[in-house]
Amino acid sequence: MTILEVKNLKKIYTTRFGGNKVQALSNVSFSVEEGEYVAIMGESGSGKTTLLNILASLDRPTSGEILLRGRSILGIKEGELAAFRRDNLGFVFQDFNLLDTFSVQDNIFLPLVLAGRPHKEMQERLKPLAEKLDISDILKKFPYEISGGQKQRTAVARALITRPELVLADEPTGALDSKATDQLLKIFSEINREGQTVLMVTHSLKAASHAGRVLFIKDGEVYHQIYRGSVSNEALYQKISDTLTALATGGIKSE
Amino acid sequence: MNRNLYSHLARQNLKKNSRVYLPYILASIGTIMMFYILCTLAFDEDLRSDMYGGGQMAVILSLGIIVVGIFAVIFLLYTNSFLLKRRKKEIGLYNILGLGKRHIAKMMSFEALYVALLSLIAGLALGMLLSKLMFALLLRMLDFAVPFGFSVSLRGLFLTLALFGGIYLLALISSLVQIGRAKPVELMRGSQQGEREPKTKWLLALIGLLALGWGYYIAQTVESPLAVIGMFFVAVILVIIGTYCLFTAGSIVVLKALRRNKRFYYRTRNFTSVSGMLYRMKQNAVGLANICILSTMVLVMISTTVSLYIGIDDSLEITHPNEIVLKSYAEWQADVDRMNDIVTEAVSRSGASVVSRTSYRYFSVTLTGSELPVNQTKGKDLKYGLTFVSLADYNAIEGMELTLGEGEAIVCGKAYSGDSLYIEGTDFRARVIDVRRPLLLTVPNADIDVGYCVVVSDLDEVFEEVNQGAYADGRTTSAITSYAGIDIEQTGGMEQALYSELYNGVIEANLDTYISLRSEERAYIVSLYGGLLFLGIFLGTLFSMATAMIIYYKQISEGFEDKQRFEIMQKVGMGLSEVRKTIRRQILMVFFLPLVAAVIHIAFAFKMITKMLTLLLISNIQLFALCTLLTVLAFAAVYTVVFGLTARSYYKIVRA
Repeated sequence: MTILEVKNLKKIYTTRFGGNKVQALSNVSFSVEEGEYVAIMGESGSGKTTLLNILASLDRPTSGEILLRGRSILGIKEGELAAFRRDNLGFVFQDFNLLDTFSVQDNIFLPLVLAGRPHKEMQERLKPLAEKLDISDILKKFPYEISGGQKQRTAVARALITRPELVLADEPTGALDSKATDQLLKIFSEINREGQTVLMVTHSLKAASHAGRVLFIKDGEVYHQIYRGSVSNEALYQKISDTLTALATGGIKSE
Repeated sequence: MNRNLYSHLARQNLKKNSRVYLPYILASIGTIMMFYILCTLAFDEDLRSDMYGGGQMAVILSLGIIVVGIFAVIFLLYTNSFLLKRRKKEIGLYNILGLGKRHIAKMMSFEALYVALLSLIAGLALGMLLSKLMFALLLRMLDFAVPFGFSVSLRGLFLTLALFGGIYLLALISSLVQIGRAKPVELMRGSQQGEREPKTKWLLALIGLLALGWGYYIAQTVESPLAVIGMFFVAVILVIIGTYCLFTAGSIVVLKALRRNKRFYYRTRNFTSVSGMLYRMKQNAVGLANICILSTMVLVMISTTVSLYIGIDDSLEITHPNEIVLKSYAEWQADVDRMNDIVTEAVSRSGASVVSRTSYRYFSVTLTGSELPVNQTKGKDLKYGLTFVSLADYNAIEGMELTLGEGEAIVCGKAYSGDSLYIEGTDFRARVIDVRRPLLLTVPNADIDVGYCVVVSDLDEVFEEVNQGAYADGRTTSAITSYAGIDIEQTGGMEQALYSELYNGVIEANLDTYISLRSEERAYIVSLYGGLLFLGIFLGTLFSMATAMIIYYKQISEGFEDKQRFEIMQKVGMGLSEVRKTIRRQILMVFFLPLVAAVIHIAFAFKMITKMLTLLLISNIQLFALCTLLTVLAFAAVYTVVFGLTARSYYKIVRA
């Protein structure tokens, strides 16, 4: 079943006085099936972040349509957007975006508190999640007391605790060392195996090689895509690498 | 690089940072203006020499100058340090982009110069314009005719320039030293460093609670106005200690307790505020306590000075029931008769037409509560003054026709609870009646807490007996005093003429007499209390301005820090309206916590202050209550306006 459908997205940034126009997305269309793990790759300036921001409903496209489970998210009113994000989307950011004022546990609870859920339910949801993410021991600590990997796992827990339709990850491994990166990617694969749909934007080959499908964006368009099929991470890594090389040298035509 | 570049950069910087610089410049202008006005008033020669009591007025105003001066130094340096903290990142960027420390110093010197010039010129100009107005206001308060003309106080001008020039120089030097020491990377990092969560300090919180409780207890239990003065300072110090401890440690204890209450804490409205406050309290607690103490001072200062000023005529009514008062330590009736003759003669010679004349003789004894049949639990430690007058005099003064039986005395004052009066071997049957108005010296004053008037049939006989008893006990009593009061028709200069006639007469007769004029006394008190009131309002305004500014800056600087937090929360699913609500809640707490604490302090201090006011012969509690209430309301109104402005700026920063 299709969970996310993106049709002909276009985004043009206009400077305040209408002088310069920059086209960030020219025409992006793709769809994500339920339970898929999709990585979007592209160089800096290719429009990845713009795309993610629009998917996250943090920004509005100039034209186009986004359907989440068949429902258009562009029609949602400004006042309801926050609640929509809270209930349907989970975010993992490059710089973690944890709040210093909250303990690890409270950071994870934040979206549930904002949704007005009872405390008992929060506890029940947290327990298995914390064990899976191996953060049970640090729940009482504060973000400045834990490592980068632990911070990102906390952020993952915060994204998952609302049981979102879709997890959006923006360069989740960007600020992590290689060990923490491996651990995080393993977690992503694991939650995906359990049925969580994940959409990740990255320019890390390694991160993308864990995905089930890789989309390549160039100059504001989906230029190419690779399905994993049944190959291993290593084989996918090689395929991605070849594609990127071809992309950079202009060898592949858009499909 | 040429000179113009730096001045250009400096101008640009000020413009770009106007959100933080504008309030700073406005506050500087305000402070400079007020300082200059105070100088003008204090140094004014006419005010000093022409006015009765002008000398002490000048002394009060000079004290004001010192207070405002000290305040200006602290306040402007504090604000400057805040500004620097805000701009560290920007300066670090300049440094990295190739502007050397020396060049930055040049640029900042230009900035300081612009700020100083702007503030000084505007401040002095406004000061000169408004000083005339303030002068008129002051003179009106002092019941003095307002002269025309416009003058500039050169001395005030120089003093202002010197002081504020010095402050700006000091501020610049401290900024330059800080920047000179820091590495560019440190500058770039600026103020953003992970703050640790504050620790719970139970002991400190407990000390605070005890100190505050003790201070409040003292304020509520002190009965004797005489004891109040000493205890007031003890209570004030305890309350100050309590305030600081509770704001720093107590707040953390309370917030942590709130956090432990899961059902309260994990609610949308409480979640972010409680954690935010907890995080903030570490750096803000002292500031909030400062604001609380400052507000309390402002409120007490203004309400008491207003009460004093309004109550002047009430207190004069007590000390000077008549326009001209003569008091003579004349023991014998013959002396009294002579004094009366002098008065009669003086009146006829001066040509004044007398409206009324009273004269009586009295003596007073001071006793402690344990020696009298009064409320032994509450009144035991008070000092009681008994003023004895003869029945004939009392009937004459009060226009009554009371009679006394053998061995009977009338005690005027409801609180007296007993049917006998035993004093120094003299025993009376006491008949207690209510007083219609307090007779001279029976109101509480600096020497006694409670006063009774005792009416006996033969004053001299009682005096003799009481005195002998007192000698036997090794105590002293006062001598018999004759009081004479004259009211005359108010015609220009007549008072003064009669006064000099009386003075000459008394000198000739060689009587040990003290003469005082109500109008003269009034002028004296008015200049004293009027000066205090003026200063009270003046300083009150200044302190309120400072309080508002400190909070504004605190909130703005927090706004910059909170920006990121709110962005994150929005991403996680906090709606804009919730963001706005959370911000309002947070700022509301920071703003009104000190104010609420200040109001509670004042409520507890109320009783004590009224007791102290009775020493200054202000016994109208309703008046003081009203003054306090109005002051609190006015202060709260100003506060609310600043709160609104701050919340708006804060919201803009967070949303930007």
